[in-house]
Amino acid sequence: MSGRPLLPEEVPLVLEDARPVELAPPRPPATLGEWIRGNLFSSPFNTVLTVVAGVVIALGGYGVLRWIFVSADWQVVKANLRVFMIGRFPLEETWRIWASAYLAVFLAGLSVGVTGIGVRRTAAGAARWLILGGLVVYALIFLLDGLRVWVSIAAGAALLGIGIAVGRAGGRSLRIPLAIGWIASFLLVILLLRGFGGVPPRLWGGFVLNLVVAVVGISLSFPAGVLLALGRRSSLPVIRFFSIGVIEIVRGVPLVTLLIFGQFVLPLLLPSGVRLAPILRALVMITIFAAAYVAEIVRGGLQGIHHGQYEAARALGLPATRMMLLIILPQALRNTIPAMIGQFISLFKDTSLIAVLGLNDLLDVSRNAPRLEFSGDVKEALLAAALLFWIVAYSMSRWSQRLERRLGVGER
Amino acid sequence: MSVEATARSARPPLWRDLRVLRVAGQVVFVAVAVVFFMTLTSNLTDSLRRQGLDISLDFLRTRAGFGISEGISYSANDSFLRAFQVGVVNTLRVAGVGIVLATVLGVVMGVARLSPNWLVRKIAQVYVETIRNTPVLVQIIFWFFGVIFALPPIQEARTLGSVGILSNRIIALAWPRLEEGAGLWAIFVVAGVVAAAVAWSRLTRLGDRTGRDHHRVRWGLGVFTIVTLSGFLISGSPVRFDTPEVVRFQVEGGLQVSAGYAALLTGLVVYTGAFITEIVRGSILAVPKGQREAAEALGLNPFQQLRFVVLPQAMRIALPPITSQYLNLTKNSSLAIAIGFPDLMGVSRTIINQSGKATEMLLIVMATYLSMSLFISLVMNTINRRVALRGEGR
Repeated sequence: MSGRPLLPEEVPLVLEDARPVELAPPRPPATLGEWIRGNLFSSPFNTVLTVVAGVVIALGGYGVLRWIFVSADWQVVKANLRVFMIGRFPLEETWRIWASAYLAVFLAGLSVGVTGIGVRRTAAGAARWLILGGLVVYALIFLLDGLRVWVSIAAGAALLGIGIAVGRAGGRSLRIPLAIGWIASFLLVILLLRGFGGVPPRLWGGFVLNLVVAVVGISLSFPAGVLLALGRRSSLPVIRFFSIGVIEIVRGVPLVTLLIFGQFVLPLLLPSGVRLAPILRALVMITIFAAAYVAEIVRGGLQGIHHGQYEAARALGLPATRMMLLIILPQALRNTIPAMIGQFISLFKDTSLIAVLGLNDLLDVSRNAPRLEFSGDVKEALLAAALLFWIVAYSMSRWSQRLERRLGVGER
Repeated sequence: MSVEATARSARPPLWRDLRVLRVAGQVVFVAVAVVFFMTLTSNLTDSLRRQGLDISLDFLRTRAGFGISEGISYSANDSFLRAFQVGVVNTLRVAGVGIVLATVLGVVMGVARLSPNWLVRKIAQVYVETIRNTPVLVQIIFWFFGVIFALPPIQEARTLGSVGILSNRIIALAWPRLEEGAGLWAIFVVAGVVAAAVAWSRLTRLGDRTGRDHHRVRWGLGVFTIVTLSGFLISGSPVRFDTPEVVRFQVEGGLQVSAGYAALLTGLVVYTGAFITEIVRGSILAVPKGQREAAEALGLNPFQQLRFVVLPQAMRIALPPITSQYLNLTKNSSLAIAIGFPDLMGVSRTIINQSGKATEMLLIVMATYLSMSLFISLVMNTINRRVALRGEGR
């Protein structure tokens, strides 16, 4: 402070008899003892809870760990690993799946690099990844035989790293090529699996089938869902009622019923001579199902757009179509991204329902594999399947949470 | 006058007049839709004719000829319609019990998720994160083949003291059973409810008038307990706990549920409970912090803060998403088909296989699920209107 006299508005306002406001000193980080007292033994009731929960965790944890590492027989998973992943896909054609996986991994790496989402920078985050990664490698060492698989996996990991590096270097300039790349990869993967004397869909199976069904389902249902949402908000009554009818009927019926409808009734509705493979029939129904849910999400996004945006667009003289495409939809869809990822996760989990139709997806395979030679090891097989589903769904949901924070949804 | 004239003259040509275009667009849409549906129906009738079938509901009255493992009384000689009813009742049995249990589990876990106790919080978090991210069908199949099938057969069934019996076919729990004198006791119970209600409303009015504590909960419960308890003793203790027993490869007594029912119910409750947990947690957190602080400033104790300030507002936020969870649970009960539990969908699939009437049967099934969904929405919307702010939630 200089010796200059204070101007009237600079004189601190101090009420009579009041001390100047004192800020609390910054709290030192809690010591271990304080933390334990605060979180576990803050009151008598809390202490009782801690003891009870501790006993439950100790007993349950011991039982689970003992079962995983001592009693369980994971041979059923090891012996059937290939069937778990790709079902009855012919052995000599597996390069098609590897190539598709490489493509996806590379694009995923690029996306992570470009958006910067998914790269943890905290020590705790890194530690968590190390532990998880260690467990995965441990499991793989137990499960995998042969050098070739290891080389293939290492190549995938390397591609992921290259993707991240390229994405970081390219930065935001890569965003549009990346979007085009994802769309193109979708067609490319189908071509890879099916084209050039490829493998017919009835031989697709295992976890790959779940992934393909989920990706195709969400990609096809997205445009249909947007159209249905626009239809539901249309000012033309016929179109509005049609959209409401479709959305509400589909949402009020279980997916199983729709799938069985697809198996029994859909073939009757097609002109004679047109045949659809069971997987394609299931895909049609899954797409219709998902479209109704996507439509409701998009409708939510549309409702969140302030009417001033519509008015501004009209004031600029934009015709309705371009107003929607250029002004309204981009904002509305951006707000729905987290919900859309949630819908994708739920669709991905729902792909297990095609097992009800006898299609050889991961669930079906894991349910039937133990019957052949490992009778009684159903638990192990099913848990392995559950774990695979869980890994994909959980990492997507974590990624979406971070994306949500990044996009600042609900904060603008 | 001149303004009107210009307006009329400035009217765009027909093909650019918005009013004409709107009507034309709808007409075209209807035409396309009609052509589309007519193609579908003609395809359908063609295909059916080739298979020698037609569309009619007469088959519902013919003999079913297949057995159903559980449910209301039914034999293979009954009609398809009766078989379908058995399935509907089984679905309602799973959905109704499931909704209640999932709510209880969800609320308990949701509160645990916000507990000041770190361990309790983590248990709830692990529960939510594992269960929510695994397909419900995998879970149901796991409970059925992995857990319940791994139990011993009936003759070596595990007994949990006198509480219940666990076997791989039937799970039985001790259950109260009414005996002679129950009718008399029922009268006392009704009387107790009436007396409690009278005391409650009297005390409420007294409290409103005088502003003194009314203690209506204490008095109401007290009156109810005294009346029902004395009635219980007067009518000669008409309730007995019926403990199940294994008698020659059969379980007798108690509340018995089949392996399929137990697996389906467990799977649905555990799965839906995880979603309700997150809704409960989210809606309690969504109540602005100032509300609780204001309640504290008014001198309400922690219980009163929850009961009168936080929970009523959290309810308002939680009800719509919980409704959609109830709908999901009901629809997911159709996964019974994967474990052979004869629910609505499962029985209908058997009917389709027996009669070949896929189209009719599936339309009936869809209509049934739709009306169940509609019923749940109706009930929940009525409740929602009660708790919503005035002017909201029309």
